[in-house]
Formats: sequence, structure tokens, C-alpha cells
Amino acid sequence: MTALVDSLTLWRRNTLKTIRVPTVLFFALFQPLLFLFLFSQVFGSLANLPGFQYDSYLQFLVPSIVALTALNSAFSSGMSTVTDMEDGLMDKFLIAPIHRLSIMAGRIFADGSRIMVQALLIIGISLLMGTTYATGVLGIVVIILLAALFGMAWAGLSNIIALRTGNAEATMIVGITITFPILFLSTAFMPAFLLPAWLENVAKLNPITYLVEAIRSLVNDGWIWSDVMQALLVILLLGAIMLTGAVRAFRKAVS
Amino acid sequence: MPLVEVHDLVKVYGKDVRAVDGVSFEVNAGEVFGFLGPNGAGKTTTIRVLVTRLEPTGGTAFVDGIDVTSDPNEVRRRIGYAAQFIGVDDDLTGGETLVLQGRLHGMSTKAAVAQADLLLEVIDLTDAAGRRAGTYSGGMRRRLDLAQALVHKPRLLFLDEPTTGLDPQNRRALWEYLRSLNEDGVTIFLTTQYLEEADALVHRLAIIDHGLIVAEGTPGELKAGIGGDAITVTLHADASLQEIADVEAVLRGLDAAHDVRAFDHSVAVYVTDGGSRIASVVRALDEAGVNPARLELSEPTLDEVFLQHTGERLRVEEVKQQRRTAMGRRRRS
Repeated sequence: MTALVDSLTLWRRNTLKTIRVPTVLFFALFQPLLFLFLFSQVFGSLANLPGFQYDSYLQFLVPSIVALTALNSAFSSGMSTVTDMEDGLMDKFLIAPIHRLSIMAGRIFADGSRIMVQALLIIGISLLMGTTYATGVLGIVVIILLAALFGMAWAGLSNIIALRTGNAEATMIVGITITFPILFLSTAFMPAFLLPAWLENVAKLNPITYLVEAIRSLVNDGWIWSDVMQALLVILLLGAIMLTGAVRAFRKAVS
Repeated sequence: MPLVEVHDLVKVYGKDVRAVDGVSFEVNAGEVFGFLGPNGAGKTTTIRVLVTRLEPTGGTAFVDGIDVTSDPNEVRRRIGYAAQFIGVDDDLTGGETLVLQGRLHGMSTKAAVAQADLLLEVIDLTDAAGRRAGTYSGGMRRRLDLAQALVHKPRLLFLDEPTTGLDPQNRRALWEYLRSLNEDGVTIFLTTQYLEEADALVHRLAIIDHGLIVAEGTPGELKAGIGGDAITVTLHADASLQEIADVEAVLRGLDAAHDVRAFDHSVAVYVTDGGSRIASVVRALDEAGVNPARLELSEPTLDEVFLQHTGERLRVEEVKQQRRTAMGRRRRS
């Protein structure tokens, strides 16, 4: 119980920092927005291909942009952790009589709530661009929750890298390096039927594919629970692995 | 019962860096206890074991009767700790910083806010309380950092080089404040590399060098221990080792000499009632044909104590905290 209170205290502190220095908030949005505008123009004609099952490339692209936002934002998580260490602030948390895990939990919770705000912003912009959501407001809520949960799991990976390297720059570089193959080895920007067979198989092993496809079905097809459940399952599995790894890396880094 | 009991504490980094090499001491309730030593002597390592941030390699450490390794959270509840490097969040205000620490120590928001306001008043930050700490001066940051260790009203305070990097005026003000805390019943364990600080502030001190305590006692006892006043003969800067050895031999030959120590190009002889011995020292040097550059008579100081026990003068080195950038922002160090 007190561990939860401490987690929320630290969540509040982390969120306050994000609001005070909104660089991270907008830095993570810049690339997704750029992709949203560029790709919807450059690849717009893909929608004319026979076999393309969505009303427009934009309808197809927006879910990927939401996922990309979660991915990008999650990668700043580890950088914040390292920055707290370098600034001597982690030390202040570690000498407080709190459960060590609430420090990680406060960080991951803050990542989740930040991603919710960012996903909402992206969805708002997509609405202005003419995207329609088949599942309406409730669907948008589920999309935002899925993106946030995926981001929280992914933040675990960011923290693993950050805590093992102890270096904010390295964390950022590894993050950027991983993000691109993860995205392009999925169905994020190309429909599966246009991918070469080997890539289609790789995409099936890529967790981001499941997030993108679940959001896509909520945006375009209505409530298809099997898609949502599949994505949730993948997120749970990913979260279990990444967050366990992050907690272990954390314990090692602070002992 | 002592508030802090340390027995045969050992901390080895890596394979064979023995940062603390078997240290034993006690800190009694109500006193200001100091660790005096140069950089790398093992001061910070010892303090970080006591505040539960480091696992010792060997030995035992109890704080308020609690083993620091077996029940760290119980120890954390009872102590305040200000590290050598300031840990102040640039993005939060002074007030928010203190309330956060209070909350993390289990205080209600109301109690934390009340205590934060009180402390801000004491450390003279009330006017700046609503401003982000990133706008504070060095002295203000140091005060806020110290206040973070005090929000939950600990009875035992660990301060790692609390005045390093402060100008003399701020240093004196901080001494004054620490004294008043101590008078209110707070036991203080501090480390320092400043002799004046040890002299001005501590009731009892241990001199630590190369991971070992080489002397322990009140400043008065330690000074008395070196056996009187020091008469220091300083030779010219280009004096040879042989010349220094000659002077050492001459001074050792004096009947009144308790001890003789050479360092750099000086030789000190410790004698009782130094004033009356100057003449005999001069006479002996003259007879030996030594022509000193300077002759000094000094009452015993902690400087002499340090020299006597370690064979070196205490050199103050300030380790600068590395400047860092994060997300393109240059952060204050």
C-alpha cells in the first residue's frame, strides 16, 4: 500500500518535470508528426492498388503513427532515469525509506500517462486531417490505453539499456537505432500483402505489428475483440519480460 | 548506547582497492563527530555504508542499534544524509523539493508542507521557495540540499563534506546553523578535509588516511598528543635531501625534542613550552652551520596532528562534479 503511495508521489514528481520541461513531450511528437504528414503525401497513392483494404492511406497510417509515438516516448524513459542518477536525484530517492520498486514504478507510470497525452494529441490532429474512427470515442479511449500500455512495456527496454550503460546519449542512440528496424520490419507502413514473404514472417514476430493491427482494426473495422486481445496478450508478455529485466538492471545499478 | 557503532568495517572495490580497511568507531548521541582526511581516504565510502547506499565487504555497522545491512529502511527512517555532491532538482521549486522528500519519508502532504515552510524560513529561502531551483545560486542550492536531509526531522544527520565549494562567508553561516541543530539535539556525523572546520565544529574527530583511522579524540586531546608546540625550520627551496637530513639530526639531538618530522623542505621539532626553546634551537642550528630561510613557532594545530599521524600535510582538493548535458540542456553542476 505505501509502495503504491510512494509510486504515485514519484509519478507526480516525474510528470511535473515533464510539464516544466516539455522538450521531451514534444521531441517525441516531432518525428511521428513529420512521418504523418510526409508518408500520407508520399505513399498516398498506395491506396489505389488493388487489394488495399482501407479507405485511404491516411486511415492505414494513423494507427502506425500512434504506435510510433508510444515507441519514441517510451525511449526517453531510460534517459530520464540516467539523468536522475547523474543529477544526484536518484540518490535522494534511494536514501528514502521507500520500496526500491516504487522508483521504477513511478517512472513507468509517468511514461504511461505522458504517452496517453501524446496519443490523444496525435489522434486529435488525425481527426483534423479527416481520419474517421469506426469505434468512436470509446474506441479512441481503448487505442490510447493500448498505446500507453505498450509504451510502458517498451519503457522497460529503454531502462534496461540506460541502466546497463549508465549513459543518456548511448540510450538515445540505441533507442533510435532499434526504433527504425522495429518499425520497418512490421506492417506499420506497408500492408502485409505488399511485403516480401520473408518480411511478412518477420513482421509476425514483431510485437509492434500486433499493436498497429489492433489499433487499425479499431480505427477501420469496428470492435474486433480477437485483435484487441491478441495485442493485449503481446503487451503483457513484452511487459513481463522487459519490466523484469528493467527491475533487475535497476537493482544492480543502484546497489 | 552510541548512536553509530562501526566495527572492523571493510569495503573493497573490485579486486583489491581497499577503500576502507578495517575501521572501528562510535558516535555518541548529541555529539558532532568528524572524519578528517584527504580525498580518497575512505570518508565517503564509510558514510555511504552507514546511510545504506553501499554494502560493506566486511565488518558491522549499526545505526541507532539497527544493522545497516539487515534493515536498511528502518535506518533510512531515522537518518538524514546530504551527499558530497548537491542533488537538487533544477526543474522543481525549492518548496516542491522539500515536500517531495517529506512525502517520501512517509509524512502527510500537510505535515510535509508545514515542515518545508519552516525549513525554508530557517535556510532563508522563503522568498525563493516558489522559484525553480535551477535559478538558485550555489549557496542557495547547498542550503536547499541540506534542508532535504532535514524535512523528516531526523535525530542523526550524515553530512559528506558539507561546506566543500562554499565561500568563507557561507561556510561560517552553515557552521552556525549546524551548531544550532546540534544544540537542538541532532547528532551530526560529518566528513571534512578542512582543518578549520574540524576545529570549529566537531566535539570529537577521527583522522582517516588510506582507509584507516590513524588517530581519534577531541581536538584538544589530539593537539595535546603531539607533545607541545612546533618549531618549524624551513630551508631554502633548493635544499638537498642531505641538508634536510642534517637539520633533522640536529633537532633530534636537542634534549627537549619530543618528536621531529620532516616534510617538503621543512623540519618540525615538537617541544614543550616552545617560546623558551627557540634560543637553543637557533644555537644548535648555528653550530651545525645551517642557515634556515625561516623559523616558525606554532601552537599545536590539527594541521600538526594530521602531519604527525600521516607524515603528510592535509591537502585540500576539490573534486568538481562533472558537467552534463541532457536533452540539449546544460545543467548546473
